[in-house]
Amino acid sequence: MLAVEWTRAVAMRQPGLAIPGLVLGGAALALAAWRIPPAKLGLGTTRFGLRVLGGLALGAVLLLPAAVRSSAVPLLPAGLAVAAVAVSIGEEVAFRGALYAALEDAGGAPLAIIGSTVMWTLAHALSHPLPFLGAVAAAGLLLALWRWACNDLIGPIVGHVIADLAL
Amino acid sequence: MKQGALLALGVIFYAIAAWMVAPGFYDGFNPSPYAFTCPPPQAGDTKPTSGHVDIRVVGGVSEANSAFTNDGQLVIGFLPGAFIAGGKTSISVDIKPLDTCPNPTGIRFVTNIYQVTADAMLDPSKPANLVLQFSNLVPNPSTVYQASDPNGQWSTLPSQPGQPFTIASRITTFGYFAGGYPATSPPPGSFTIGGGQILPIVVAMLIVVVVLVGLPLAVIPRRR
Repeated sequence: MLAVEWTRAVAMRQPGLAIPGLVLGGAALALAAWRIPPAKLGLGTTRFGLRVLGGLALGAVLLLPAAVRSSAVPLLPAGLAVAAVAVSIGEEVAFRGALYAALEDAGGAPLAIIGSTVMWTLAHALSHPLPFLGAVAAAGLLLALWRWACNDLIGPIVGHVIADLAL
Repeated sequence: MKQGALLALGVIFYAIAAWMVAPGFYDGFNPSPYAFTCPPPQAGDTKPTSGHVDIRVVGGVSEANSAFTNDGQLVIGFLPGAFIAGGKTSISVDIKPLDTCPNPTGIRFVTNIYQVTADAMLDPSKPANLVLQFSNLVPNPSTVYQASDPNGQWSTLPSQPGQPFTIASRITTFGYFAGGYPATSPPPGSFTIGGGQILPIVVAMLIVVVVLVGLPLAVIPRRR
């Protein structure tokens, strides 16, 4: 996962590789969940409406600090929207889905929450400036806590997609 | 109960951490916060940097090279022979951010203004490629503007979007450069509602939907 994220971050610095890097990176990350049952990833369909709604709430929480301070943030350019969705889903499936499930099996929920958050933060070390990594880690921790508290990955996916599209 | 409390702590922790940095998740779209000469309220106060390059002249022809500011906010690429060398053995190019922020009538600048100088003129048949980075905290620029005096007349250069959050233009003379858009038109490419209050409205709508739809959804399964 780290190799995919770091390769994506480096590739996106090259001209014309931003969108392919995001789409292919998202797809490669999603492969981490290959052959893992959806329910184990947190992708069950029970109370689906509430899961989606939880994702909307997570999206609101993720965007709130920016919304309070900045009123006229331009939306993401249309060409990048699909790529943003792809990488958001890929990251959630990989980190809060496959990695979380593996770590939970190995050492229980605390290891899954902390381990997936640490890996998520490291994965963003090349794509984000150092001062941003605290906020990245906090977002990862929040999403992992949701994954644990609600046994749900739909919410983090929806929230992550909304946050990436809006900022 | 324990889950809810930890989740609430996660929300608080995130809010504090996110408050300490400029807004943006930047999933690879805009990795470096823009350093503004005159920062908007939501931006940091990092100052923009200057740049310098010496370009060798071999056999009367200047080599291909690039000049850029140390923060990468302005990059100029020069083709081989881009300069009229005139017997020089090297050509010096300097880029300096203007430390003031003029607001010429009819133009809204969204980048810093940079002064680009060189000790040789450009060959007009081999234009240099100038790329300006801009911030995600401001509307996208529609064009690159050029002037010989920052307080004088600004002209537009044919421009096109480059990589995400950059705008590129070809230049044949040096001077002052900045990205912006006509002040009389709405910001290019922007979708605004409610007078540009996009993000607060998005968040408000999310909260309203969660409250209005969430309560019934949460109650219905319990009745079954």
